Amino acid sequence: MRELLATASGTRTWAAVGELLRPRRALAWGALLVLLAGTAVGLLTAPVLGRIVDLVGAGSSAIAWPVVVLVLVAVTQGVSTAFGTALVARLGEGMLADLREKFVERALHLPLDRVEEAGAGDLTSRVTRDVQVIADAVRNALPVMARSALTIALTVVGIAVLDWRFLVPVLLALPIHVHTVRWYGGRAVKLYAAQRVAVGVQQQQLLDSIGGAATVRAFGLADSHVARVRSRSQEAVDLALRGIRLLTRFYGRLNAAEFIGLAGVLVTGFWLVGAGTASVGTATAAALYLHSLFNPVNAALALADDAQAATASLSRLVGVADEPMPSTAGRVRPDDTTIKLAGVSYSYVDGHPVLRDVDLELAAGERVALVGASGAGKTTLAKLIAGVHEPTSGSISLGGVDLASAVRSVAMITQEVHVFAGPLADDLRLARPDATDDEITAALDRVGALGWAEALPSGLDTVVGEGGHRLTVAQAQQLALARLVLADPPIAILDEATADAGSAGARELEEAAARALDGRTGLLVAHRLTQAVTADRVVVLEAGRVVESGTHEELLAAGGRYAELWAAWSGTRSEPTPPQGRSSGVRTARSAG
Amino acid sequence: MRTVLKAAVTGQWRSVTVASALGAAHQAGEAAVPLLIGVVIDEAVRTGASGRLALWIGVLAAVFVTLSLSFRFSLRSGEKASHQAAHEVRSRLAARVLSADGAAHGRLSGELASIATSDAQRVGQVNLALPIAFSAVIGVLVGAVALLRVSWVLGLLVLVAAPVLLGLAHVLGKPLERRSDAEQERAALASGVAADLVSGLRALKGIGAEATAARRYRATSRSSMEAAIRAARARAWLDGSMLTLTGVFLAVVALVGGGLAAAGEITVGELVAAVGLAQFLLWPLSIFSWVNGLLAQGRASAARVAEVLAAAPAVPPGTTPLPAVAGRVELDGVVSGSLRGVSLTASPGELLGVVARDPADAVSLLAVLAREVDPSAGTVALDGVPLSTVEGSVLRSAVLVAAHDADLFEGSVLDNVAAGGPHVDAAMAAARVDDVAGALPDGLETVISARGRSLSGGQRQRVALARALAAAPPVLVVHDPTTAVDAVTEVSLAAGIKRVRAGLTTIVVATSPALLAAADRVVFLASGVVVAAGAHADLVADDDYRLAVLS
Repeated sequence: MRELLATASGTRTWAAVGELLRPRRALAWGALLVLLAGTAVGLLTAPVLGRIVDLVGAGSSAIAWPVVVLVLVAVTQGVSTAFGTALVARLGEGMLADLREKFVERALHLPLDRVEEAGAGDLTSRVTRDVQVIADAVRNALPVMARSALTIALTVVGIAVLDWRFLVPVLLALPIHVHTVRWYGGRAVKLYAAQRVAVGVQQQQLLDSIGGAATVRAFGLADSHVARVRSRSQEAVDLALRGIRLLTRFYGRLNAAEFIGLAGVLVTGFWLVGAGTASVGTATAAALYLHSLFNPVNAALALADDAQAATASLSRLVGVADEPMPSTAGRVRPDDTTIKLAGVSYSYVDGHPVLRDVDLELAAGERVALVGASGAGKTTLAKLIAGVHEPTSGSISLGGVDLASAVRSVAMITQEVHVFAGPLADDLRLARPDATDDEITAALDRVGALGWAEALPSGLDTVVGEGGHRLTVAQAQQLALARLVLADPPIAILDEATADAGSAGARELEEAAARALDGRTGLLVAHRLTQAVTADRVVVLEAGRVVESGTHEELLAAGGRYAELWAAWSGTRSEPTPPQGRSSGVRTARSAG
Repeated sequence: MRTVLKAAVTGQWRSVTVASALGAAHQAGEAAVPLLIGVVIDEAVRTGASGRLALWIGVLAAVFVTLSLSFRFSLRSGEKASHQAAHEVRSRLAARVLSADGAAHGRLSGELASIATSDAQRVGQVNLALPIAFSAVIGVLVGAVALLRVSWVLGLLVLVAAPVLLGLAHVLGKPLERRSDAEQERAALASGVAADLVSGLRALKGIGAEATAARRYRATSRSSMEAAIRAARARAWLDGSMLTLTGVFLAVVALVGGGLAAAGEITVGELVAAVGLAQFLLWPLSIFSWVNGLLAQGRASAARVAEVLAAAPAVPPGTTPLPAVAGRVELDGVVSGSLRGVSLTASPGELLGVVARDPADAVSLLAVLAREVDPSAGTVALDGVPLSTVEGSVLRSAVLVAAHDADLFEGSVLDNVAAGGPHVDAAMAAARVDDVAGALPDGLETVISARGRSLSGGQRQRVALARALAAAPPVLVVHDPTTAVDAVTEVSLAAGIKRVRAGLTTIVVATSPALLAAADRVVFLASGVVVAAGAHADLVADDDYRLAVLS
């Protein structure tokens, strides 16, 4: 069972909203007062119209003044609504920006194993969907809600001021509203969630089938894929239509409430006028008030489920924003760039060790290639040294300092390449924010990427990544290496797959990687044996244990596991001369089996 | 474009008609409510006639029932017509894109997927827009007739002033709206950047750039916030000015109507009804510009859909059927892409290795073998029959080109292999899928996510290879099938391919020595021509060849 990232409790969520609101108290009061004033003035319309009715009913034609008042009301209402809504936006957007910045900062600092444990989708959906849901609520729902709520509240006050007895029919309609919102809210949240899932599945199916169109055609799978698209699409359509049915039933109930309110006010007016306690104008004004409540009530209630969804999203953001920042205090700078693993074991699941009792030393500046079958533990070993996971037992030290308390000096490039959206130079400056143009150019040159980078439509200012110029996988990997050069860590771990680059691209990348590693202690997870040939030392892992260690030539001469592997892989027994063989002392591996 | 729109509407004509008729009834009902308020005041409240009160409240109830039910079923029919039409467009697009005669050129899959979702939806929405437009017309007509019956003067005033008012709002609003939209786009930037940083989290953490990234995000977030505030401000003033204009409009109606009532030309109740109707009419009138927007979007989307549906096939379809395939593949002087006159032959049952020093040559070769393009000179023939004359589906079942980046699909590992063909067990053994399954939680039944992303590169390649082997086509072309696989496994896969394909023609385009060592014969391509051929063990004496495969 995955353990998802933290979600804040309801109490904590509202407390966090309070914290965001506190520095903006003046703004909040200002927005409230302006909107309140505008809404209050707007309520004059109905009684003024009622006044006109009374005047005309009495046979007078002196209605110029009431009409002037109507115009003044319109202008005041328009201006204060615009001004108040703008203030609400300033308030909401400011709070939103504070929240998302804190959230993103904490999210970026979460320990990687924590993120992986929760599943990559958890964080991604919070950063995209939840932030978007809240932003939509702030931009669309909040202003409408604020204005509608004020209008409803003040209109009810207005009706009461006309004659409190008009409130009776209003109160009769209220239980229907309360019940309708409850009835709708629960169903809508569930149904819309299912609908979002169905739309996501449909989108995924389209990307899956269309993205794999060449494969679909090659294997003659078109019919089954079109059928899949149809069925996923129909599921999404069916759920959307269920949503519409729910929505129309929601409005049906509100219509009933509208009728009860309106008929009630008219009947009340009839009695009051008949009893001589209210004028026809007052009755008219009450009816117009009620009729003008239809739209704001519908608008506010229809947003009730948006508000509920936004609250749920908010608690997911606050949960992450409340995570503590990792402490960097008290970390020790290692004396040199050696790495020493002593008796290191690691298991993801208890009782299934992936690494067993590994002893390994890397001298300062040494370049070691890790060789082994998939599942032998190469990537896990790399991750342990990078500090992503902590060993289950045994110790890892950098320059004599325990890894956990050492100042971070290990960089790692993984198999997942990512090009950050934006200008190419900005992508590289993530590694060194103050890098000069010359340093950027030099880094690209060192990994053999300067040629294509300068040939891009706008050179190093070309927007790359999502939504920008598309780079090939090999180019993206070169960028990752250039970032490494700029970050300039004393120790580097490369676990990049060169597979997607094709074989010739892979060779270029291997050369680039070698240049990027120059002058660093380097651990290289070798995916092709050619990468092992050029390393200072080759370490062979088998089922989580180190079984051999030495240079390419030494291991070939030793005639062990590596030599077998090389012969089978290269299809030749004749010993090739490695292009740039370097030698270092033989180290015998301790095989603790 | 017209045919796409027409098909969308006619395909759902029943729902569209029902939605239009009921929508009109709903509008008439909405127009009747203010009218009835006026009538109740005139005939009951002012006179104290309780019988009239009961009658008109009863009528009001009937109107509410009618408008509520007609709205309910109008919206349901309209939405059904809209979604169902979008569904049909989506299905046709999928069928076209996946059809055997080639792709819609130059479009990325993301773009096609978005045409199949967003554009299909916009085409469908025409079915929602048409009934709404129709009912708005009816609403305006009902309101106008009612007003004109009350008073010619008042009726004409409202019918002239309301469109003028809306036109004015439109003119006033346009620049504000444009500004608001532009700002909104910038406001959306913050979420895009955040998502991008999180999806690159490993790369960021790998070089310790978390703090830099957070700082950069803060700058984006601040400028997005400013943009969003500006957008909201423009929108707020737009709403505010609309509110003022409407209020002034009502004041004018009240002034004229009040004058008429004072002069005894209309009753007080009619005055109330006129004010209510004036307010009501603003809605159906304002709907027209919204409907116009929807129709314009629908037309633009229909054009994009039509373009994909009408895309010409990549290569002219052939017609010749093939008798039993022996599997002799012959390229004679082929010029295509980067190939400059390649001649080579794979004999029936041969396992032929092809090494391309330049990756572009491999790509060009695979394209002509898969008949994604026809060579500009020379011929590619299967058993002596040029590929360009062979009927499409026949050719695809005879020659299978398994691309190096072949995609897996959502489904279990077993489903994916079985999608290739019936020889599942032998194929899985040869591609070492047993190892893959062993590392997965539910073994062969493990469901892999779309495009196989839940598998590692090496696992994915082995499942894809097994699928190609399971198809057991007379001619199989595989490209770099083991690049993500470790050296130990690679050797075993090479032996597996040789075993399973015994007696069938196989062309392996790769530079992996492990695969080439297993081949019967290897052809070496450089700069678009064949430069050497022979056994791998002999070719390694060639320096160029050696450089291509062993360094």
